[in-house]
Amino acid sequence: MKASLFCNSQYIGAAPNDVWPLSGKYFDADAGVHSMRTVLDQFKLADELGFDWLAVAEHHYSPFSLCPNPMLMAAAVSQVTSRAKIAVLGPTIPILNPVRVAEELAMVDLLSGGRLIAGLMRGTANEYVTYNHNPGESRERFAESLKLIKRCWSENEPFGWAGRYYDYRTISIWPRPVQRPSPPIYISASSPESGEFAAQNEIGVGFAFTTIPHAKKAAEHYRSCAKAVGWEPSPDKIIYRALYHLADTDEEAFAGMATLPPRIALANQNRGVFEGARKSGYFGADFAGQTTRNAKRDLSERIELGQVIVGSPETALKQIRRIRDEVGAGVIDFVVGVQLGGKTMHSIELLGAKVLPVMREF
Amino acid sequence: MPGEHFREGFVDADGFRVRYLEAGSGTPLVCIHGGGGLRLSAAHDLLSAKHRVIAFEMPGFGASPENTRSQSTEDLARCMSEAISKLGVGRYNLMGTSFGSKVALWMAVQQPDPVEAIVLMSPAAIREREGPVPTRVSPQEAAKLMYAHPERHRGSPPPPALVAKHAALTSRLLGPPRDPPFEAKLAQLKQEVLVLFGTEDKVTPAEGAYLFREALANCHIMLVYDAAHAIDADRPEALEAVVTDFLIRKEQFIVRDQSDLIHN
Repeated sequence: MKASLFCNSQYIGAAPNDVWPLSGKYFDADAGVHSMRTVLDQFKLADELGFDWLAVAEHHYSPFSLCPNPMLMAAAVSQVTSRAKIAVLGPTIPILNPVRVAEELAMVDLLSGGRLIAGLMRGTANEYVTYNHNPGESRERFAESLKLIKRCWSENEPFGWAGRYYDYRTISIWPRPVQRPSPPIYISASSPESGEFAAQNEIGVGFAFTTIPHAKKAAEHYRSCAKAVGWEPSPDKIIYRALYHLADTDEEAFAGMATLPPRIALANQNRGVFEGARKSGYFGADFAGQTTRNAKRDLSERIELGQVIVGSPETALKQIRRIRDEVGAGVIDFVVGVQLGGKTMHSIELLGAKVLPVMREF
Repeated sequence: MPGEHFREGFVDADGFRVRYLEAGSGTPLVCIHGGGGLRLSAAHDLLSAKHRVIAFEMPGFGASPENTRSQSTEDLARCMSEAISKLGVGRYNLMGTSFGSKVALWMAVQQPDPVEAIVLMSPAAIREREGPVPTRVSPQEAAKLMYAHPERHRGSPPPPALVAKHAALTSRLLGPPRDPPFEAKLAQLKQEVLVLFGTEDKVTPAEGAYLFREALANCHIMLVYDAAHAIDADRPEALEAVVTDFLIRKEQFIVRDQSDLIHN
């Protein structure tokens, strides 16, 4: 198995965590600068410890993440690290200009010497409010945008694009990615529609803020869809993302993780967003699956469901083994769960030094 | 049904009685069909709102007698140019589809002066390699090659005898995937050329677009998303919009002229 470290660039400072969008009056510039430095320090440490991937993602209008542009963060990470892959997991492509995404990801691949992993995401419902797009059209926009981004990387001649949602008269991006024909591509596949789409396009999948039972079902669906179109995904094609915090003992780790307030998904922090997105058809065929994953739960329940990995290295390894066995994931994307200064750095050290060498053999 | 308001006509050219369908007014847009014969689509209806669309049926296709006399796409091109001239058409825009793209390009090579601009749709004129041919597979396979979403296209497939007649004629006349003497002649064309590929096309895949960029001096590639070989049937509005804009503004069509203003 491979290990990925995901720092979601959370704001390290006092701010409400249950309002979307959150007023800028809570933002303190010094805390913002400190938050950014912390992320880069943590990625640098993880790179030195031998983590396989370093992951960044896109979120808007919330202290949950100070990274509205993951390509920008990836560019910064590329300059303080030297060996780990940089996994942009990823731009929310239906709300972005696909040509710009292709250009920026190509830049990241160049700046990192070919270390880019390109996760292309649909994003949660709230993200559609950010730049005023209809969440009900997210799947169609996603499919078209993905195809266009790949074409931007592979087509050498200038070309126009007469799409349903995107219209360009001439495209010829510079620079091109280092990795040909394209950097490895992953999409989120928690819903049955996306699993089928990934299988048909022979690309990898990720399950984020999911549960083991849900991810197990989704991974089985993905593998069976892939089989139906004649290929078999390797474990590396499946990423499982979970919140984590490690300490030398279970007690210390639990005490650290307990400082984290219950998570409320961004889309659930605004009644208008959730209801409006539901009416738009954003959730698709698996409304229950998509919404129960985000239900409010206490820590012990989240551990049991595999949403959170917490404890000593030995305890964490048991949880990781379970994810490998039940979901078949080949990459675990460990989300830095709590920002506790030295304790969080120690949590990354333990993961790199004690857990990583063992889980590589799983 | 697409093409209902087109009127049928016949013109004698090169010893053949050539059938055509015509509608609309404005600068003539001469359409040369693909290997499946003359079949009007919703795109032709839309184009006829802004152009005088003249869609020819080449000798040997459809209900016309078997054509054993034409020996090449060059021969067909001469016949088509004569038919246009007989109709009294002066300058015109030229659109060639699939097999018809090679005929259209020969027309422009042989008689460049009357040709204003050229549109090639899913062109088979230059191919990287031999690909699947819709007239040589089962009707179900043909529908999958023609349409990105076959289930959206109702209508009975053409009779097998007609399909076989078209297949025999096109395979005799089209020539090899690469045709160096033909390609060399294309370099002399001065017209702006718009070349359209469907992103789902397996017959003339978009991966071959570079061949047209290499052969033609003024070549603009346009990929039509979610369209297979029959772009005009899969995405008629998208096709009409870009073709019309190109025919009016030529190489300047890459500059957006619609306002981005939301409200005053």
